Amino acid sequence: MESKLKSTVKEVLGTVIMLALALLVGAVLVVISGNSPMEAYSTMLRGAFGSAQKICELFVELIPILLMAFGISVAFRAQLWNIGATGQFTIGAIAAAAVALYIPVPSGIAIPLSMIAAVVAAAFWAALAGWLKNRFNANEVITTLMLNYIANCFLLYLVNGPMQDPETDLSQSALVPVGMMLTRLFGDYRLHSGIFIMLIVTVIMFFFWKTNFGYRINLIGQGEKVATYAGVNVKRTTVMTMMLSGALIGLAGWIQIFGIQYRILSGIAGSYGDIATIVALLGALNPYGIIAAGVFFAALRCGGNSMQRMTDVPFSVVDVIEGLIIIFVIAKTIVNNKTLGLRDKFRRKQGGKAHVE
Amino acid sequence: MLSNIFSLSFLVSLLAGTIRLATPILIPALGQIYTQRAGILNLSVEGTMLMGAISGFTVACATGSLWLGLLTGIVVGMLFSLIMAWLSITVRANQVIAGIGLNILGAGFAAYLYRVIFGIRSLPAQIDSFQQINIPVLSDLPIIGQIFIQHNILVYLAFLLVPLTWFVIEKTTFGLKIKAVGEHPKAADSKGISVYRIRYSAVLIGGAYAGMGGAFMTIAYMNSFTESVIGGRGYISVAVVIFARFLPSRAMWGALLFGLASALQLRLQALGAAIPSQLLLMLPYLATIAALIFASKKAEFPSAYTLPYSRLER
Repeated sequence: MESKLKSTVKEVLGTVIMLALALLVGAVLVVISGNSPMEAYSTMLRGAFGSAQKICELFVELIPILLMAFGISVAFRAQLWNIGATGQFTIGAIAAAAVALYIPVPSGIAIPLSMIAAVVAAAFWAALAGWLKNRFNANEVITTLMLNYIANCFLLYLVNGPMQDPETDLSQSALVPVGMMLTRLFGDYRLHSGIFIMLIVTVIMFFFWKTNFGYRINLIGQGEKVATYAGVNVKRTTVMTMMLSGALIGLAGWIQIFGIQYRILSGIAGSYGDIATIVALLGALNPYGIIAAGVFFAALRCGGNSMQRMTDVPFSVVDVIEGLIIIFVIAKTIVNNKTLGLRDKFRRKQGGKAHVE
Repeated sequence: MLSNIFSLSFLVSLLAGTIRLATPILIPALGQIYTQRAGILNLSVEGTMLMGAISGFTVACATGSLWLGLLTGIVVGMLFSLIMAWLSITVRANQVIAGIGLNILGAGFAAYLYRVIFGIRSLPAQIDSFQQINIPVLSDLPIIGQIFIQHNILVYLAFLLVPLTWFVIEKTTFGLKIKAVGEHPKAADSKGISVYRIRYSAVLIGGAYAGMGGAFMTIAYMNSFTESVIGGRGYISVAVVIFARFLPSRAMWGALLFGLASALQLRLQALGAAIPSQLLLMLPYLATIAALIFASKKAEFPSAYTLPYSRLER
C-alpha cells in the first residue's frame, strides 16, 4: 500500500517536472517573440485565477474539456483511437440545435429531446468508425479523422444554407428559444447550470470502471485474444465503446449550444477535440488524472486568451506548450519504465545470487 | 450545366487539376511507404508537412530561391520526424499517441513561426511560386499538352519518385533491410542488421518526403502560408499508403484518385454547380473512407507493424 502511494507520488512529481519543462520552453518562445516571459506568465496566471469572473470562465472551459476527455478515455482504454471528438461534438451540436429550432414543443419537452438527439447522433457518428473497423478492418484513427472533416463540411453547409439565420449574412443559425437556454449561476458571469451535468458525469466515471461494461472495455484494451478468451464479444463491445465515447462528447456539444453559444456557427468545436485528447492522455485515462489535467488545461487556455489580449505574445505559444507536454510526458513514462525494468532485473539477479550462495 | 460537365475543356482542366492536386499527397505517401514498411505508423505526417510548409516558405521568402526553400522544407521535415523516430524507436512509445502529440506540436509551432517571422498583417505574405514549365511544341499540343505538360517542375519530380521508390524498396539491399525489420525485426537483428538504424532511416526518409510535400503546398501550389494549408493531406497520405498496400505504383493511383476528388470539387464549384460547395468539399474525405473500406481487408500489414523492438524482449 505504501509503495503504491510512493509510486503515485513519484508519478505525479515526474509529470509536474515535465509540465514545468514545457512551460520553460514556452518561456523561451515568448522571449524569441520579443516579450517578457515573466509578464506573459503572470498575465496568464491572472487571466486564469485572477478574479471570481476568471474562475467562472475557467469552469466554463472545463465543462466541455472534461466531458470530452472522459469520452475519449473510454475509447482509448479499449485501445480504440478515437481522434474524432471534434466531429462527434459538431454532430451533437447540430442535432441539438436542429431539435431546438425546428421542433415546436414546449421547452420542458424540447430540452430533454434535444439532449437525447445530441447524444444519440454523436454516438452513432462515433459508432460508424467502430463498425467500419469491425466490418472492413478500416483503421479508426483515419476514419474518425476523416469523419471530423466531413462533419465540419456538413456544419458549414448548414450554417451557410438551410439553417442559416435569415436575419444575417453570417455563417450561423438563428438563436435557440430563450426558454431552452441553461440558467446562469452567478449573475452576468457565463458559468451555467451545465456544470451540474459535468459533476454528475464525473461522479459516474469514478464508478464506471468498476462496472461490468467498464471491465469489458479494459479487457478489449488488453488485446483481442485476451478479451475473446475472457468471453467478451469484441465486435459488439467495440461498437458499444465507441457509442459511449461519442455519447459523452455529444453531451458536451449539447451543453455548449444551450450554455454558451445559443446557436450553431462555423467552427463551433474550436480546438476542444485536441485539448480533450491531450487531457485524456495526460490524465493517464483515469478520472483523477483527467480532472487534474483538465483544470490545468482549462487554466492554460483561459490564461492564454488573456495573454493574447493583454500582451503581444501569440496564442500559438500555448499550442506549442500543449504539444510539448504530450511529448515530454510520453518520454517520461518510458524513461520510468526503463529504469524500473532494469532495477527489477538487477534485483532478480542479486536475489538469484544470494540463493546460490 | 450537364453539357458543361461533359465538355472537352472541363475534362481537360479536371484532369490537369487531378495531377496537380495528387502531387502533395503522392510525395508524403511515397515517404510513408518506407516508414510503414519498416513497421512504423507515423501519424505525424500532417504536422511534419506543416513544418515543411512554413520553413520552406520562409526561406524562399528570405532568399528568393525556391530551390533553397524546397531543400529547407526537406531538412526540417527530417528534423521534425527525428522526434517521431526517437519516440517510437528508442523510447518505444505508442505510435498513435506520439503521432497525435507531434501533430499538435507541429501545428502550434508552424503558427508561432509564421506569427513571429511575418507579424500580423492584413494581407498574407506572398512569393513568386514555381511556375509551370512550357516546352515548345509539347506544351501546346491539344489536350495531351494541356493535361500533362503544363505543370511546374516539382510535379514531374514527384512522379519520378514513384519508380525511384519502387527501385529502392524492391531492388536494393537497403530496401530489403527495411522490409526485414518491418516483418521480423528479431530475425533481421540476428542477421546483423541494425534494426534501430534502419528504422531511424526509414522514418527520416518519410520525414524528408513529408517536408517536401509541405513545401510544395506553399511554394509550388499556393504562394502563401495559412494555418490550414495542409488541410488533412498528411492524414490522407497515410490512408493512401494503406490503400496502396504499401506499393509505390498503387500509391500513385491512390493519390490520383484523391486528386480527382479534389479537382472535381474545385471544377464543379467554378462552374457554379447546383451542389453546395461545402458538400463537394467532403469528396476527398469520403473517398479516403471508401478507399480504406475497399483496401483494408486485403492489405497485408508488415508483421511488426506499430510494434516497437527491443533486444531485451523475447
